[in-house]
Amino acid sequence: MSRPDAASDLPRSQIDLLSSRRPSARTLWLTGAAGVLVVTVFSIVGATSERLPHPAVGVIIVCWVTVPYLASGLIAWWRRPASRLGLLMLAAGFATPLALLPVANNKVLVSIGQLFEVLPAAMYLHVFLAYPTGRLRRWPERLVVVSCYVAALGLTAVKIALGSSPSNIFTVSVHPVAALRLGQVQFALISALLLCGAALLYLRRRAAGRSPRRFSALLVDAFGLALVTLAALSIGGIRAWSGIGIVQGVTSVTLGLAPVAFLVALLDLRLARTDVGGLLIELDRDPTLDLQAPLARALHDPSLQLAYWLPDHDTWIDQAGGRVTLPGPDQRRSIQMIYRDHEPVAALLYDPALDDEHELLNAVSAAAGIALENGRLRAELRAKLQQLQSSRVRVLEAGRRERQRLERDLHDGAQQRLVGIVIQLGLLENQTTTDAQTKRRLTKTRQEVSESLDQLRDIARGIYPAVLSGHGLAIALESLTASAAVPVSLRVGLTERLPEPVEVAAYYVVSEALTNIAKHAHASSATVDLERDTENLIVEITDDGIGGANTVGGSGLRGLSDRLDVLGGKLHIANPAHGGAKLRVEIPCA
Amino acid sequence: MRIAIAEDSMLVREGLTRILREADNDVVAAFDNADDLLREVQRTPPDLVIVDIRLPPTHADEGIRAAIHIRQHHPEVAVLVLSQYVELGLAMQLLSDSAEGVGYLLKDRIGDITEFTSAVQRVAAGGSAIDPKIISALLQRRRSDNPLTHLTPRERDVLKLMATGTSNQGIADRLVISTRAVEKYVSSIFDKLGIPSTRNESRRVIAVLLYLRT
Repeated sequence: MSRPDAASDLPRSQIDLLSSRRPSARTLWLTGAAGVLVVTVFSIVGATSERLPHPAVGVIIVCWVTVPYLASGLIAWWRRPASRLGLLMLAAGFATPLALLPVANNKVLVSIGQLFEVLPAAMYLHVFLAYPTGRLRRWPERLVVVSCYVAALGLTAVKIALGSSPSNIFTVSVHPVAALRLGQVQFALISALLLCGAALLYLRRRAAGRSPRRFSALLVDAFGLALVTLAALSIGGIRAWSGIGIVQGVTSVTLGLAPVAFLVALLDLRLARTDVGGLLIELDRDPTLDLQAPLARALHDPSLQLAYWLPDHDTWIDQAGGRVTLPGPDQRRSIQMIYRDHEPVAALLYDPALDDEHELLNAVSAAAGIALENGRLRAELRAKLQQLQSSRVRVLEAGRRERQRLERDLHDGAQQRLVGIVIQLGLLENQTTTDAQTKRRLTKTRQEVSESLDQLRDIARGIYPAVLSGHGLAIALESLTASAAVPVSLRVGLTERLPEPVEVAAYYVVSEALTNIAKHAHASSATVDLERDTENLIVEITDDGIGGANTVGGSGLRGLSDRLDVLGGKLHIANPAHGGAKLRVEIPCA
Repeated sequence: MRIAIAEDSMLVREGLTRILREADNDVVAAFDNADDLLREVQRTPPDLVIVDIRLPPTHADEGIRAAIHIRQHHPEVAVLVLSQYVELGLAMQLLSDSAEGVGYLLKDRIGDITEFTSAVQRVAAGGSAIDPKIISALLQRRRSDNPLTHLTPRERDVLKLMATGTSNQGIADRLVISTRAVEKYVSSIFDKLGIPSTRNESRRVIAVLLYLRT
């Protein structure tokens, strides 16, 4: 059994859907204006540069990357305030134009620009790894991103202080060899970290699931390649390499398209969220709905399972009422606990691919809300019904065994003893050759005992049809139908023995039906037909009497129908207009 | 006559042995289970075996299986099955090939020693002995257009005895009539019921049972 405490160390989040606030329109407008300003200023700086061989090309490349980041960031911040990715993309957008400063005509601007020259690479890495929540949730991701920032800002500052660009105003003392070596180390380190980032993206997607859930997620992953080309660029910075121009072009194009892909993916999450609306409509239409299927639809996860917590029984059950065990944290299922008043109500077991979309999970859980509580009550009811059913089966089976034991005791005890007495009386009778009166008395006594034995046999037979255990339905029914009040044509189409409770039930069905026919039907003949289909034993009893068979009133068919009910069987009575009656019984015998 | 017994109740086994010995039979072996009986029959087949239907270990169908096995593999050995209940289904199973040298009786019939020993003799001699209880159950049934109602009371008596396997001589003795009279009754019964006539006393047992069963 898995207690909720045991699951509490699993990734889960409280229902905090409403806690993320949407930025005001003013903030958005101001940020947009700042973006336009930055792009304009830096474009002027680039366009007027005397150091760039083709100033226009440089400006276009920077704008190609900057504008999508700013625009996508702004839209993401507006439409998906809960995700910090929007803000992160905005930051990357503002950082990118810094790359133009080193080509400025002003010495101070150049010096500042050189300090932040490598920063954008670290920011891109951050954005890629933080998709889609804007947060770095695992320690390897945090380590890689923080290291990259340190390498991009810290090592650059040290390099410049050591005089990597002697004209920089931040130069402290000039050590050209040390500065050069440091620069090479820095580029190698950044390349390695970028490649680590790409590897983490790949691993995350592999762990996320057998079937990537959305095309847009694939799109985002594809842009992870940008990290690889960035790494190549960084390596190219160490050694002069002729192919660097092509790599530069590819990198710029990919980097410019990446934020668009992120935005599409984020909006796609919103599209998925509209299914929460569908869920709400479904719940509104039918408040007694079983939740698992609608939740699975809303979350686009067919493998989703819903488990309810039963505090009274200290156990989890599924919606059908069956006991379930929550998987441990190492297994390839994720769990979201749903609480109400700090008490667990339910748990969602879902594809780990949804781990990236906790807010969607939260939204769906919140929408399910009160329906979950109803669902739990229903599941609990079903669990109780199952218990009741299995206890009914146990009671019936215990009764059957008890009857079987009783019959056996009678057979091996009283009946055998009476037979022994009959034999002894017979022997005495045989020895008494002279006294005719004693002999007659002995004969009479022997016959009396025989008659008692007969009655005892009838009782024992009524208690349990022993011939059934010993010889099966065909033989037992042969005797039963032979002693029926009307001629019965019997057909038993069975090739093998069935479970004893099923055979006993079928025997009593035929026995009770024949008694009924004898008492009420005024029939002149009957048929009994037994056959098996894949799941059931089918017993059909027909007669040519006056009809009117039913299970109400004092009929023995009433008790039969209860007994069949316990075994999951069905009883159907037809009284056709042209007379006669047909009783059809199906008993599952799997 | 050499007889082997399988009966798990000691009381019944001893009484049976005594009765059979007093009737000048040689009870060569008396077991409380079917396996030992089968081994004995395999080693030195007796003239007749007497088998209880419910025998250890499971008290299910060990006895009847042993009886059927002996009938199939040792046709020269006559088989008399004893039981606390008589089942038409089991009777039909026992008689499935022929009624020759086979008997199926309620256990307490042993107490009527004269009747029982004559049934034993009859079965050993290749005749049959079917418990009257089976026959009377079949005769009690209500039928529309019942040919049995056309029988005279005497003919019904003859029919009952005939169906239990009693020979013409036996019927004559029981009803205190001549064997010629019995033969007349028998052919009249066959006529009225529309059963193809047969002079073989064992074969007519099956014919009558099959007729009564339908």
